[in-house]
Amino acid sequence: MNELVQLIVLGLMEGGLYAMVAAAIVLVFKSTHVVSLAHGQLMAFGALAFWFVLVKLDMPVPVAVILALAFSAMLGWTTERFAMRPLIGQPLFAAFLTTFAVFLMMDGIFQLMLKGESVSFAAHLPKGNVMMMGVSLPITQLVSFGSCLVLFLGLALFFRYTKVGLGMRATAEDHQLAQSTGITVRSIFSHIWVLSAVVATIGGVSLANVMDIYYPLPYLGIKGLIVALVGGLESLTGALLAGLLLGILENVSAGYLDPVVGGGVKEVAAYVLLLLVLLIKPYGLLGLVRIERI
Amino acid sequence: MLRIQNVEVIYSDVILVLKGVGLEVPANRIVALLGANGAGKTTTLKAISGVLRTELGEVTDGSIEFEGTRIDGMNPEEIVRLGVVQVMEGRRLFEHLTVEENLLVGAYLRKDKEGILRDLEKAHGYFPRLKDLGRRTSGYLSGGERQMLVMGRALMADPKTMLLDEPSMGLSPIMVKEIFRVIQTINEQEGVSILLVEQNARIALGISERAYVMENGRIVLDGPSEKLIENADIKEFYLGLSDKGKRRSYRDVKHYRRRKRWLG
Ligand SMILES: Nc1ncnc2c1ncn2[C@@H]1O[C@H](COP(=O)(O)OP(=O)(O)OP(=O)(O)O)[C@@H](O)[C@H]1O
Ligand SMILES: [Mg+2]
Repeated sequence: MNELVQLIVLGLMEGGLYAMVAAAIVLVFKSTHVVSLAHGQLMAFGALAFWFVLVKLDMPVPVAVILALAFSAMLGWTTERFAMRPLIGQPLFAAFLTTFAVFLMMDGIFQLMLKGESVSFAAHLPKGNVMMMGVSLPITQLVSFGSCLVLFLGLALFFRYTKVGLGMRATAEDHQLAQSTGITVRSIFSHIWVLSAVVATIGGVSLANVMDIYYPLPYLGIKGLIVALVGGLESLTGALLAGLLLGILENVSAGYLDPVVGGGVKEVAAYVLLLLVLLIKPYGLLGLVRIERI
Repeated sequence: MLRIQNVEVIYSDVILVLKGVGLEVPANRIVALLGANGAGKTTTLKAISGVLRTELGEVTDGSIEFEGTRIDGMNPEEIVRLGVVQVMEGRRLFEHLTVEENLLVGAYLRKDKEGILRDLEKAHGYFPRLKDLGRRTSGYLSGGERQMLVMGRALMADPKTMLLDEPSMGLSPIMVKEIFRVIQTINEQEGVSILLVEQNARIALGISERAYVMENGRIVLDGPSEKLIENADIKEFYLGLSDKGKRRSYRDVKHYRRRKRWLG
């Protein structure tokens, strides 16, 4: 029993990490209708920037956070301005392929910078375990999960109470109508890429907090995409739910099945979940409900 | 004053839809634009408001001026900022936003917080129902409520000119009356000039000062509204009345259309 609780709690924490990456993808999809593969890299570069400032430049944590977020904001802006904007008005599939091209290009740079090594900043952050609900939890995990909750809360407040948030929600519904009410849709796209890059970086830093920064990190973006799909691609709440669900599923199934089948269950759990959910609910758990009056 | 001269619009580089349209909307006036389905009325409004480009449409000839400034070629948000606001056909809402949020989106370009609050009051004054519905998700509104909301949203931009596309479409006669009463009040009290696209020619000619009739991408007829009401062709085609005041069959109407096309 205690083992199950342990697995579930750890799964929740891990799921929070997936949820953050998924949230970044959902943000872009909602407003621009583009499915982005580039966010795996935006997340990895954010983590790398954080590591660089914290470890290489030996700066305090708050400085590293601010600089990493500023860097990722710039990266998001640049991606939108030079890769995505020229494609406005073109088929969405072209935009999707462009995000893949961005992924590959950035992957080259990422691997080149790491030269096959792995780096880590965990040594520069507080360590240790705390006991909660009879489960022993690493502080790093708790901090990451905490940032996840704060992030989702922050996003909810941002969309509910700020003007730009309102503009983003309006744009997400109808580009032409948004334009006709005076919203500059192009600049909304730009803002949303900046915002989503920042969100991805918060996810990336939290991920790198519990695993090292090495070659597979950007590929966790694919997992983020799966989570986003399971959640319904248009819903931040869906991304959070799906992320937590996947985290728990991975840990519990691996905990019980790995000894039986000899490992690897964690790697396939995400795809099994995706298939099952899409079979039952093709639009994902919380896919956009079309409003229909009866 | 909104002045359109000899405007030509082409969609997707090949589909010529407007073939030299000219019309004027003087300040503080209501002007009606009538015409059969597919004549190009909506296209004319989109050309003015600048949203044409999202549909791969382009003004390829002629000019559109508002208060002496060329606005063809401007972005839609710049045109809204100048005070020209389109209420699009079909009462399109941001369906997942609440009624109040929809109204606030209408004021997106404005920075004057107090002015926005004042205009929110004003919109609620014209359409009290919107105040009661404030927190309701707008996608569930009835047709009449939607029409109120899209007009309220346009008012929130503090416009000088409103472009209304078929406000009466699909509404009950009482609601049509109510909506047109408000259109007239907005025009009188706010000094907003209105370019009104309508299928309901009788009511449109009733409240407008001047009217234009469009067919096949051209203006085929224009004049003071009270004169047009008397015009035999308008009577036949829109009001369904012949000289003797009898209803005529569709074949006769077709005859009218052929003749017009031949002349135009
Ligand atoms: N985006 C577009 N691409 C190509 N053709 C278009 C486009 N929009 C409109 N058209 C064509 O232009 C012509 C005029 O359309 P428009 O919508 O302006 O007519 P309308 O007078 O508003 O008609 P209705 O009374 O039915 O609303 C139609 O033949 C239509 O098929
Ligand atoms: Mg139309």
